Amino acid sequence: MTSEPRAFLALDAGAATIAASLIGRIAGRWRLIGSLALPAGADPAAVASALVDRAVAADPDLAGSIGLRAGIAADLPRLSVASHRPQRLAVVAASERALAPLLAIASRSGWRTVAASAETTDPLAMSRLLLESDVRGILVGAGDPPAADERRGLDELAALVAAVALRRQDLTVILAGGMAAHLRSFGDVTARPGEVLLGPAAGRGHAGGPLGELLLELALPADDARRALGAGAQTLADILDRRVDVVEIGYDAGSRAGAWPAVGNGGSGLDLAVASSAALVPDDPDDTFLDGVARWSTLGADRHRLRDRLHELRIAPWADATGDGAALRMAAARVALGHLAASTPGWADRPAADLVVATGGVWAVAPAPAVALALVDVLRRPGASQFALDHARLLAPLGVIPDADERRAMIADLADDLLAPVGTIVIPAGLRPRHTAGALVVHGATGSTELDLLPGGLSLVDLPPGTSAVAEFRFRDTVRMGATGRHFAIDVTGGLGGLLVDMRDVPLRLPDRADRRGELLEAWQASLRDGRAR
Amino acid sequence: MSGSSDLELVPARRLVTAPVDVVFALAPGDRPLVTAGDSVVVGAPIAERLRDSRLDEIIIADPAEARPGAHWAGNAKRGEPRGPGGEFMFLWRGRWRVATGDIADPIESPFAGIVRDVRPGTAITIRAAGRGLRGVMALGSPTRGRLRAGSDRELRSGGLDVGSAGTILVVGSRVDAETLTRARAMGVRGVIVAGVSSKERRDFLASEARQRAALHRLPPFAVLVLDGATRRPMGDAVLTLLGALTGHEVAIVTDPPMLVFDRPALAVPAPPADLVRIRAGMFAGREGRFLEAIGARRFAGGVHLEAGLVRLPDGTTTTVPMGDLERFV
Repeated sequence: MTSEPRAFLALDAGAATIAASLIGRIAGRWRLIGSLALPAGADPAAVASALVDRAVAADPDLAGSIGLRAGIAADLPRLSVASHRPQRLAVVAASERALAPLLAIASRSGWRTVAASAETTDPLAMSRLLLESDVRGILVGAGDPPAADERRGLDELAALVAAVALRRQDLTVILAGGMAAHLRSFGDVTARPGEVLLGPAAGRGHAGGPLGELLLELALPADDARRALGAGAQTLADILDRRVDVVEIGYDAGSRAGAWPAVGNGGSGLDLAVASSAALVPDDPDDTFLDGVARWSTLGADRHRLRDRLHELRIAPWADATGDGAALRMAAARVALGHLAASTPGWADRPAADLVVATGGVWAVAPAPAVALALVDVLRRPGASQFALDHARLLAPLGVIPDADERRAMIADLADDLLAPVGTIVIPAGLRPRHTAGALVVHGATGSTELDLLPGGLSLVDLPPGTSAVAEFRFRDTVRMGATGRHFAIDVTGGLGGLLVDMRDVPLRLPDRADRRGELLEAWQASLRDGRAR
Repeated sequence: MSGSSDLELVPARRLVTAPVDVVFALAPGDRPLVTAGDSVVVGAPIAERLRDSRLDEIIIADPAEARPGAHWAGNAKRGEPRGPGGEFMFLWRGRWRVATGDIADPIESPFAGIVRDVRPGTAITIRAAGRGLRGVMALGSPTRGRLRAGSDRELRSGGLDVGSAGTILVVGSRVDAETLTRARAMGVRGVIVAGVSSKERRDFLASEARQRAALHRLPPFAVLVLDGATRRPMGDAVLTLLGALTGHEVAIVTDPPMLVFDRPALAVPAPPADLVRIRAGMFAGREGRFLEAIGARRFAGGVHLEAGLVRLPDGTTTTVPMGDLERFV
């Protein structure tokens, strides 16, 4: 991109939907003119044309000022990203103990994984697994140095994997940790089309570390939306000078980008996790997934019917998105969020992000407060966070701008347009069950609002987008909200959902009885939908 | 906005696909009988599949002939036409591990074509001579038969007769597992259906697994599902195509899930450009004429979605989310 064009298109071609945004330079700033999301089977050129033509029809003067006219869409510059289905990685190790950390890292690094250890899988079954036609890479790892329980099986494992690599020259093979010493088993690796790479051993921590970064680099193509989402999140954190958590649930995978700005002597940073287990619906929804959806569902459908609907959702994710279909999506999205949280366990120990941004096609079919509720139902961290929706799915296309300064300037201009503020959500933890937990006074520009804080429920304060206030909490007991105490004063900003005080358990506990659970879920959703506190 | 350009905003579904590359999965020990570039005819054996493979350790007299993936032929015992066979897997402590087994079943190509790729232990890929009608899934194993109209609604097990043996039946909107297992037992080679519910699918797959484990197996049988898991009629364009193929030999393959037909002279009638089918919602399965895209509209559940205006055959018009529409191209 250069500064010459006065308008351009940003396209995010997802697996289920295409999102197109039109951006124009108005009064010296880049602004979002309009956006459009349509099913992935639609013609992308037609989507772009429809968007531009609608913008021209809506405001011809504005369109003319940035050089737009009907039929010009094909000539506009564009930033494009696409979501790709994660490829399959076979993860093998000599022992179950060595396999676990390798699998945990691979599963959050942009791959669909299958795994086996020589300890529990016979060589024929392991060969069958490695030779499956959809396997694109093999991660074979050991401790560095290998532990006693691994050493006995490493030579045979190396011989087996080297034989597979000889047959499948297209496979990428990663020898991690102590397995690197077996490189000679693979012969001359310079001539084969697929790379043989030496990687570090799997770390013991929750973060992927260098091995995770290597796997992400191999997994995500240059134009991948999730790779670009990381860059976009990092830039947004730098611009806003806040900790930003971007959460995306997609058709084939879910991703989470945690970015923080430079503070004091510490530099800025980014932690990106891409988990195929966090796809909206797996290829073949199993009983565990079905149970998860049933737990969050308010539909009341029997298991067979629910399984059919999930199967349909997998086949045509863009269809049946209204009424019960929207509720089903949000239930499936909560299960996917749970999987995303499970693949990033270390994130629960971090301070709550200042800003949580939801992005991805699944959120496009729900009102903003319902999106926020889905997020805090699953990703529950004590503290106060602002929530926003990347409603035009613009963050990923902007993240693909290669020059960091240009990207920063662009996102700085567009930050207000690309984020639809949902509001501020405050989650106290450590509440005792009693009639009232304390009181909240919201000091706004037009006056103060006071309400009781009722444990186990949601309290909503109307705070429109663009407004700010000070929320003064006085609890009867000591609670945790980032810090520990009884009296807190927090700066809050408004949004489509206002200020939401979530007094429910951390983590959330739902009744086992389906009817009571359904009533409770309905009540929580209704409280946001109708703007009433429960 | 003009309706014709709006039409391209409706998700397109290809009615007929060509070329068709079909993958036959292999496991270690399975023996490919073809090589890349070979032409295969209908019914030609392309591989031998081991029923219960195992890993044996052997010492090779001539190490030069041994490499991973190569075929191993053991010495025949006296009175036997050929010795044991298998596939070299890997060399370990001076001995080769070989995947082998006692019983092998032939895999036959249900269509004519040219072998594109052979990867022992992984897959054989064949480019079919002909075209294909894609489904969303296929259950069972690749098969071939004469296409026959079974039922335009829901086929029940009592509706089958022995006259259907050797045919592939088109059974309409939905079918249950009992009907499928009965059809397989009566010699029907395959079923084409719009939808199979998840329960019926699981029941049929369990039955199919039991059948595969039996010593005496029935001929290959496959179910091609065109739409999904819920009940809805097949699209008119699909029914027209299947009608044109009725009485002719066709094949069902599982990877990709597809009906393959080799009728070069068959002119597939193009559906009207503005004909759209409603996939979901209260009008699911109905077809109509797309009038125009009307922008975002609010639907049940407080959802705002891009919508289109559709004229139904009874003359009424309805507003449908674009995601609920599809058109055949």
